[in-house]
Amino acid sequence: MLRPDIDVPDADKGGAMRSLTRRSFVRHSGLGLLTFWIGGCEVKMTPREAHEQGADMRVLTSAEVASLEEFGETLLPGSRAAGIANYIDHQLGEPADRQLLMIKYLGVNPPFVPFYREGVAALGRAARAAHQLDFHELGAARQRELVSQVSRENPPGWGDGPPAPFYFFVVRADALDVTYGTMEGFEALGIPYMAHIEPPGRWGE
Amino acid sequence: MNLPADKVDVAIVGSGAAGSAMAAKLAEGGKSVVVLEAGPARGIADLVSSGIWARRLKWGGAPVLEEGQHPVGYVFNSGYGTGGSAAHHYAVWPRFHAEDFECRTRYGRGLDWPFGYAELAPWYDEVQSEAGISGDADLEIWRPPGAAYPLPPVPVYPQGETIARGFAAQGMRTAPLPLAVLSQSYRGRAACIWDGWCDAGCPIGALANPMAVHLPRALAAGAIVETDATVTRILTDVHGKRATGVEFARGSGERQRVMADVVVLAAFAIQNPRLLLASATDRHPRGLANSSGLVGQYIMSHAAGLIYGLFDEDTRCYMGAFGGQLVNQDGYAKDTHADNGAFGSYQWMIGQAVKPNDLLGIGTTRPELFGDDLHAFMRQAARGFGSMTAVVEDLPVATNFVRLSERQDQFGVPLASVTHTADPASQALWQAVLDEGSAIFEAAGATRVWTGPRGPMHIMGGTIMGGDIAASVTNSFGQCHDIPNLVIAGPGLFPTSAGVNPTFTVHALTARSADHLLAHWSELQT
Repeated sequence: MLRPDIDVPDADKGGAMRSLTRRSFVRHSGLGLLTFWIGGCEVKMTPREAHEQGADMRVLTSAEVASLEEFGETLLPGSRAAGIANYIDHQLGEPADRQLLMIKYLGVNPPFVPFYREGVAALGRAARAAHQLDFHELGAARQRELVSQVSRENPPGWGDGPPAPFYFFVVRADALDVTYGTMEGFEALGIPYMAHIEPPGRWGE
Repeated sequence: MNLPADKVDVAIVGSGAAGSAMAAKLAEGGKSVVVLEAGPARGIADLVSSGIWARRLKWGGAPVLEEGQHPVGYVFNSGYGTGGSAAHHYAVWPRFHAEDFECRTRYGRGLDWPFGYAELAPWYDEVQSEAGISGDADLEIWRPPGAAYPLPPVPVYPQGETIARGFAAQGMRTAPLPLAVLSQSYRGRAACIWDGWCDAGCPIGALANPMAVHLPRALAAGAIVETDATVTRILTDVHGKRATGVEFARGSGERQRVMADVVVLAAFAIQNPRLLLASATDRHPRGLANSSGLVGQYIMSHAAGLIYGLFDEDTRCYMGAFGGQLVNQDGYAKDTHADNGAFGSYQWMIGQAVKPNDLLGIGTTRPELFGDDLHAFMRQAARGFGSMTAVVEDLPVATNFVRLSERQDQFGVPLASVTHTADPASQALWQAVLDEGSAIFEAAGATRVWTGPRGPMHIMGGTIMGGDIAASVTNSFGQCHDIPNLVIAGPGLFPTSAGVNPTFTVHALTARSADHLLAHWSELQT
């Protein structure tokens, strides 16, 4: 079966070709190739590549992207370059039954756009309440200080956003996904991905 | 796939463990079978080894609303698409113990099953031979009587060896974890390569999920598996005495019907009662098969007792199976921790294979860390991480139930709302187990030990079976007391949850029911 949003070439062909292409796909990225848009053209890329190439966002505004990337970078340095905002934005534009975001099994029913959008807004309100600046303007030390508070409680100014510690947990999980959930991430930790290991035989084809 | 225009012998709702096993047996018994699956079509070769991609195997249908202090985690614990929840299950297949079937009689708590362990034992033996279980029955000293496992045990990696040291130091025993994962090639299926991707499905068929074992058999015997088919209503005759088929909807909204002599509900513990309640008629104003008023009641979910540790050794924590390497059931007696007000059984699954990310991944075990501290932890844990999980029994409580919400799905069917708050004795058991597990890790030499939150694991009950028609929904074969040709299959039948994983028992129960249906088929026609 060819999944429309994850490109597995020749996946509906049988035998060794399917095995080979699946492994090639997984080798490229544990996260998979997602469809992004550059200049109105569809391109299959990893979130990291989408970030590098400045792919268009489908759901989030540029201000929301800036805040989300800065929040992600504070949660897990490197997640901005790994494409955290591109990944979240892509998934928010997908139908609910094809969502890959971890929030889907954390007790929140779709659609998930309000969760992320309200979380970004609440983080901005909290930053402005404390420092009269947006979150992405705070600088690293103040960002860490505010994020530490967000991890424990709703900071002043947070308002009607999702519970701050839960928002922290969810975006932190997204940051872990794009940073360490890929083959590059496994490699950085010295953990063998092991989808490389060719099984002694494939059954059921 | 074109569905047959005429009535079929059996319509099965759901293609998970129970639905696929029922389909295989009934189709091989000569019955015409149609399986209706709400989610997408998926074969084992479609399973991608990625914890992120694997989320697509989780429930993606109508939202389930959750209430109570201890939600059952419906989306995480259920499945969507071919194979249902079993497509991503970890294949830990221990047997229930004799006391699990006689909890009320022996202890005055919980409920009794309508039969004892000895009645089910032959089907445990049959299923383990079909599916292939790796284990060591002699070393598993707690195991109830039964045939030896058909395959040698799974390998033990440094993580398992390290944690086993702690059990030994505490005077406790370990044995190979019984896994429905092949340690050797078996019946044409390849052996596991111990890559730890069980929860993403098993693309080589080494793990006994429905796509590897029962669905191929069902299809070979002529069964039809129809995906993108969300059942919206169970149909009954004008007298309300017989089920006549089911109505289902495509994603496009198109409605169709399959008429059948026998309808089997195998849509898991929440959707089964939802469908029964949503199919109310003048003859069954409280919902089908609900003369007892018990449809939806006694929802249970094991509490996961999560123990984590860091060790000086290179534990190679990414190797093995997702379910673990070793087992301990020293605490299975239901009064082991009675001094703490606890009641129930539990087992330890020791040395789970872990990946860096996802809900059960390394990074999530220390949710308070962020920034450079999180990177540092990830690097340290990648080498010396260890974990084990207790499956903690959840007592059946009548006030833990499924009801219909006022909200509806896209097809106009009321959503399920699930309320679950653990009995205080079950909650006390979970706490006691955490203390025990922490002590074991310290005895194993962990340099740091911590525990996880109370996670829900498995969902059972909601359509319990029994001998008393006023105190249960079905008989011991899953036939509804009120409508005998309407059959429930799956963990929703369980009157108690035991302290072990449910899927092996789901299979044994389903095999027993299928044999009974085939042997009494003519009686189902009247």
